[in-house]
Amino acid sequence: MCGSARRRTLWGMTNTMSTARPCVPGSGDPDRVVCIDGLVKRYGSTEVVAGVSFEVRRGELFGLLGTNGAGKTTTVEILQGMRRSSGGRVEVLGLDPSAAGDRLRRRIGSQLQDANLPARLRVGEALRLFSSLHPDPRPLDEVVEEWNLGRLLRRPFAGLSGGERQRLFVALALVGRPEVVFLDELTQNLDPTARRQTWDVVRRIRERGTTVVLVTHDVEEAERLCDRIVVMHRGRVVADGTPAAIVESLGGAATVRFTDAEIDARRLRDLPGVAAVRRHGPEVEVAGDGPILAYVGAHLVAEGRPALDLRLDRPTLEDRFVALTEEDRP
Amino acid sequence: MTTALTTPTTVPAHAGTGGLRTAARLTALDLRLLLREPGVIVGLIAFPAVTVLILAGVFGSVPDPEFGGVRPSEHYVVGYMGVVIAQMGLVTLPAHIATHRELGVLRRYRASGVGAGALVASQAALGAVLGAAGALVVLVVGGAVYGVPAPDDPALVAGWLVAGLVCFVAIGLALGVLMPSSRAANAFGNLVFIPMFLLGGGGPPRDVMTGAMQTISDVLPLTHVIGGLRLSWLGATDDPHVLWWPFTVAAVAVLLAVRTARRRVA
Repeated sequence: MCGSARRRTLWGMTNTMSTARPCVPGSGDPDRVVCIDGLVKRYGSTEVVAGVSFEVRRGELFGLLGTNGAGKTTTVEILQGMRRSSGGRVEVLGLDPSAAGDRLRRRIGSQLQDANLPARLRVGEALRLFSSLHPDPRPLDEVVEEWNLGRLLRRPFAGLSGGERQRLFVALALVGRPEVVFLDELTQNLDPTARRQTWDVVRRIRERGTTVVLVTHDVEEAERLCDRIVVMHRGRVVADGTPAAIVESLGGAATVRFTDAEIDARRLRDLPGVAAVRRHGPEVEVAGDGPILAYVGAHLVAEGRPALDLRLDRPTLEDRFVALTEEDRP
Repeated sequence: MTTALTTPTTVPAHAGTGGLRTAARLTALDLRLLLREPGVIVGLIAFPAVTVLILAGVFGSVPDPEFGGVRPSEHYVVGYMGVVIAQMGLVTLPAHIATHRELGVLRRYRASGVGAGALVASQAALGAVLGAAGALVVLVVGGAVYGVPAPDDPALVAGWLVAGLVCFVAIGLALGVLMPSSRAANAFGNLVFIPMFLLGGGGPPRDVMTGAMQTISDVLPLTHVIGGLRLSWLGATDDPHVLWWPFTVAAVAVLLAVRTARRRVA
């Protein structure tokens, strides 16, 4: 199901795969918001999505992570019914997006990548227009207050900063009380401050109980925000799990580093959990797993040489992401 | 402004999701936005209005056999209602749609549950309103300067105006979908509009055209729209005026637009 057995074999990711969540479209699970099984999208002879399978549960803040051109946006556009698939099965809120079309789109919220509003459209007009498209919109004064748009109501779209635009887009995506909201490259081109403000916005959406599908190529963003991540590379799912589990799949290796030009580094090899010791000039690097920081620290104190810069580096999601997406697949 | 947003009259609890209501709302919004960009409106109306004033002034107001026996000024003023409609369909509407497509405005509307039908209807209505308003301005300006008689057959005039609007709105929608960008839409629209305007009844009278020019003129939908308007308004014309031809061109344009739009979604 969902090709998970094959993924385990290829990538050695048993501990990160969500095989406990079989995804069969049409099974009527009310807590399953998105279900994709073997999704394929071809343009001519080019397969941009090649048998993707995953699911999103109600209330999750789910991340679809991948490099540019990984097939993320195409996958999401198929979920939104904006594009037709070439194969496989897709279900969103129990509906087939290609058949449900506008009926489904009124139940979901969408912040699209590279989609704008008319330059002279004012913020207030945009809010009124998008509100009018939904059968039971949220009161606009509430939306305006929530996303801090009050002083921008008369400002044309072209006059908004990047962060203000993203706040408006999120407000427009949420004005119809969607059950699930798709946010595609939400923080693209934002400065660090606006980026962090936008992250707070995403957390607030989730706190209100709305399921969020966050599409991003930003590993830090996915790691900080998401409960669960699917990593896509060249149209395929190469990892599926919590950020911690995906990092853990590297084997849990950790590295302790400190500076001491005179210590006998060979004796560190005998400490529990230590796999290797390397010296780069005055810097000593101790690799291993388990509580090696404690053992190394205790050893240095016992030797009467406590290091001031003793630190532990664990592999990050970015390390795992780079490892996954650097591998060349046929 | 915040107060206005919270007032029930400006923010209905549920304004309805019907396609027609949505289309009407989008059309009204687009018109409002165009009024904030007066260059588009001025461009649509100024060219035919100025040209008709010059040509009508040059050829005068004495009935002339080269103009089918009618006054040249009336020949041009009535005919230029068709010219402004053609300009809307070949230049203004395609550029507007292509710009919205290019910026992702249409995708954003679609992603929010605006049906494809409502989007098409809103753009068609926008084109029809712009075309009709432009024709009215040309008629008022030309009539005020040179005088225009009462229409010979008002119902038929209305019929030919509808034929012109249907034809050129359909062409505008098709070009808006087919053109890869707003720049391409602008360039291609002008490339088609200028010869069509010159050979389709907006330039020299048919009698002074060469045989080859007349052959080309015969297949241009604008020729027939202008010919029909002149016949129904002035009671005489030398221009071809086959009513089904603009509708046939419209049908072909719609088919092309639908095929292209489907290919884009696939």
